Amino acid sequence: MNSKLKKTLTPYGYLLPTLILMTILLVIPIIMVIRYSLYDNVIANKNPAFVGLANYVTVLSDHDFWNAIGHTLFFVIISIIAHMLIGMTFALILNTRYLGARTKGIFRAVYALPWMFTASVIAITWRMVLDPNGVLNYILMTLHITSEKITFLASRDIALQSVTLINIWSGYPFYMISILAGLQGISPDLYEAAALDGADAIHSFTGVTIPQLKPILISLIMLDFVWTLQQFALIWMTTGGGPVNATETVSTWIYKQGFTKFQYSMASTGAVILLIVCTIIGILYVRQQRAEA
Amino acid sequence: MKAFAKKALVCAAAIAMTMGMATSAKAEDVTLEFQQWWGVELPDGALQEICDGFTAESGVKIELLSNPYADTKTQVAAGAATGTMADVVGLDGSWVYDFAKQEAIANLSELMTADGYDTAQLSDQIQYQGNTYMIPVVNFAYPLYVNMDILEEAGVEAIPTTWTEFLDACAKIKENTDKAAYCIPLSTEAPNGIQNQFSTWLWASGGTLMKDGKPALTDNEMLTKVVDFFKTMKDNGYLTDGVEAMKEQDMVNEFENGRLAFMVDGISHLTTIKTESPDLHFTYAPMPKEDSYEGQSGMDVANWGIGIAENCEHKAEAMKFIEYLMSPEVNAKLSQLANAFPGNNTAAPDYSANDELFLTAFEIFQNGYAINEFTGAPTAEDLMRSMNEQLILYFDGDTASVADMLTATQTAWEAAYE
Amino acid sequence: MIGQKKLWVKILIVVILILGAIWAGFPVVWMISNSFKTNAEIFELPPRLITENFSFTAYAKIFQNPEQVRFFINSYIISGIVVILTLFIGIMAAYAFSRFEFKGKSVINTVIVAVQAVPPITLLIPYLSLIVSLKLFNTFGALVLTYLVFTLPYCILMVTGYLNTMPKDLDEAVMIDGGSRWTALWKILIPSAIPGLISVGMYTFMQAWNEYLFALTLTKTNDMRTVPVGINLLMGQHAYEWNQMMAMSVLGSLPILVLFLFFQKYFIAGMTAGAVK
Repeated sequence: MNSKLKKTLTPYGYLLPTLILMTILLVIPIIMVIRYSLYDNVIANKNPAFVGLANYVTVLSDHDFWNAIGHTLFFVIISIIAHMLIGMTFALILNTRYLGARTKGIFRAVYALPWMFTASVIAITWRMVLDPNGVLNYILMTLHITSEKITFLASRDIALQSVTLINIWSGYPFYMISILAGLQGISPDLYEAAALDGADAIHSFTGVTIPQLKPILISLIMLDFVWTLQQFALIWMTTGGGPVNATETVSTWIYKQGFTKFQYSMASTGAVILLIVCTIIGILYVRQQRAEA
Repeated sequence: MKAFAKKALVCAAAIAMTMGMATSAKAEDVTLEFQQWWGVELPDGALQEICDGFTAESGVKIELLSNPYADTKTQVAAGAATGTMADVVGLDGSWVYDFAKQEAIANLSELMTADGYDTAQLSDQIQYQGNTYMIPVVNFAYPLYVNMDILEEAGVEAIPTTWTEFLDACAKIKENTDKAAYCIPLSTEAPNGIQNQFSTWLWASGGTLMKDGKPALTDNEMLTKVVDFFKTMKDNGYLTDGVEAMKEQDMVNEFENGRLAFMVDGISHLTTIKTESPDLHFTYAPMPKEDSYEGQSGMDVANWGIGIAENCEHKAEAMKFIEYLMSPEVNAKLSQLANAFPGNNTAAPDYSANDELFLTAFEIFQNGYAINEFTGAPTAEDLMRSMNEQLILYFDGDTASVADMLTATQTAWEAAYE
Repeated sequence: MIGQKKLWVKILIVVILILGAIWAGFPVVWMISNSFKTNAEIFELPPRLITENFSFTAYAKIFQNPEQVRFFINSYIISGIVVILTLFIGIMAAYAFSRFEFKGKSVINTVIVAVQAVPPITLLIPYLSLIVSLKLFNTFGALVLTYLVFTLPYCILMVTGYLNTMPKDLDEAVMIDGGSRWTALWKILIPSAIPGLISVGMYTFMQAWNEYLFALTLTKTNDMRTVPVGINLLMGQHAYEWNQMMAMSVLGSLPILVLFLFFQKYFIAGMTAGAVK
């Protein structure tokens, strides 16, 4: 083989397995799902008719879908804020010089605990804790914080908050660990310089820590936004989107359209809309990464 | 692009094959996959034994795929979408319409005719557009389970037979114990509480949800009364806390652990409840009736139905397997094992070995008539879900009146019947 | 004065430490505690951490059930294969990104980064028919291949980051000695990236071990299913066997826990390298 051609082809050779996989299991399915969304009803209907964008009109004028979007936004935004606050607090504490290495190690492992569990485990554990006869209600009543049993997951008023709480619990460790890694990468010289300039703890936090962590924080927020946006298993296994539709999110909406209403085209339409939103964020993320590099 | 995609597909398949991951089909003899939730609810190994009987008789092997109900449903739905449904599938009456409409399950009428099968012996056939798609193998009644210890603790002397007596009993339970009186699981994820724990009350007092096969919820006098009856229970705190997030399993768990006085549940759970909670002192009773109702009671039945996948390559053998399960002796055996009533009219199960409670339930069943209006209804689970949601809205006071609640449900249901 | 301020800071830290530990650890403690109780004791009032019926019955039931043991074996096999393939394919791709300039590099790179944003549920419906036409339905292959789509991007990005920190002279030295690029990559570069690779491998293992949606819908028989599905199957029984579900949850989480405890140093180091890159 001609050596110049070989040289041009080498990088593609290294990329070949990735490219094949991504073509078959990413590009083709995306094309398929977009195609599905343009038909009246695929799979359930053997001879689907092409309807153009009609499904998008139906979905986007569906009150329940907008409701689901509202819940999703609440779920995502509150989760991200809480993840950030908790993750940052724990990371800062685990990074102080007041604690010994052993203590740090133990607490780091304890704080990282929620991360070790899969969604089905988290869902049943919290269902047990939050049960009206469960341990949390007992504690709250013993401490006289509440006089009546709180039905965390069964009340339409607080089910969404309860599910969000569960998601906050399960998601902050990723922030904590990433921020901790980031903190350890900040050169002590920067703090010394700040101290020489007379900065106190708060100023060195806002003046050194935050700017140094900024790229990590932005990446974290973007990744978390997409991950939380697509959270399905946790909600499905705790409330199933209910009571009524109090915890319906875009993911549970898609799943129900497909697997209980057998409206696979509607499900695909919802999926494409979700995909578009996620892709936009994905592209912003890429840009942000580029700007950083 | 297309050629490339094809090549890529072949390539990936080849990779997977060489990795030894693809299952290979044996050509020489016929094996039928039989997906159902029955194996889980029957005594260990019982279903396998029955299927082995068929293999001995016909040489056709049966591979059992036994999983709990909810999972079987997901699997059958996914199978319907992809054409990978197991050859023979256990079906619930509420799934039949959708899968038949999707052409995912086979027309049994044709297969029975081809076989010259005598359908007169079948207790029921579930049809779609005039053709049979599902045959109930065995039927289960849903009587009232009563925890006698709680009644005693509460000072309730007799098991209630009317709504007024029932509400009195609930009041005493609320007053004198820390237990719940009644439970209706209303989780959105599994909305069949509407069928088994709600509509049961309606049917027991002679009411119906449909008229001439169409939803008839508005101006439905008995249904209005049932909704109000539930609202009274909810408002007075007779229901278990947090019913809105509960599934049937939660309810059974409450009952098994002695925290619930009454529940409506299938007698298929008799054996498991007895094993799990040997000390629980409970009995079966007929559903209490609306005070003025004098007629016969309809009793909620569910069934283990059976159907054949459209993608099944051995439909004739599959039909033979169904005929085997429906044959009088096998059907009687299965009924006896499952605490159920046979789907074949000529089967005569010997229940003498069954729990005496079962005989109580059998007696109750014989005094009424079987009914389940969700069987064969379009997107039945979704119908239950919309009524479920409307009921919660009414509980919470978001809907002003029963009439509004029923009108809203009627509108949702009519959409499915278009 | 300064000493007093320090004391306050210390007290504050201790308070937060303890509250944080309760918040993070309590549900876990409760889960473990309930796996040793009888079913009726789980919702008894007042709740107790340890009861007189403390027993390993729930665990024994799981180990005696070959079907449930099989879920664990399957999860190990699938996650193991996914980790190996992800690292292998990912390292190759990362090498290309790190060492070559080629046409389409930026586009491919963008796509790979953006894939991290694709929600699995959006691809579920096409996967159902795609996996069937590839004849992979109800095989480990179905799960391994679909998981790779979601594990590869992170691996490629992280490993590209590590490789970028290593001087190109290293590979060139090998090639001058008559070695190939391939040897340079696997013999020289990879061994020095081990801590980072452990971190990536662990993360990949977690993703594969925890996946639920595809494991549920792309498999049919129980001999092909994984731990998360197994836990959910327990939830589907006629009544909740809370103690067994808890025991299964504890067992299902143990591998990740052990991995984390053993490798947490590498893990954080790996993340630092990725973060700083």
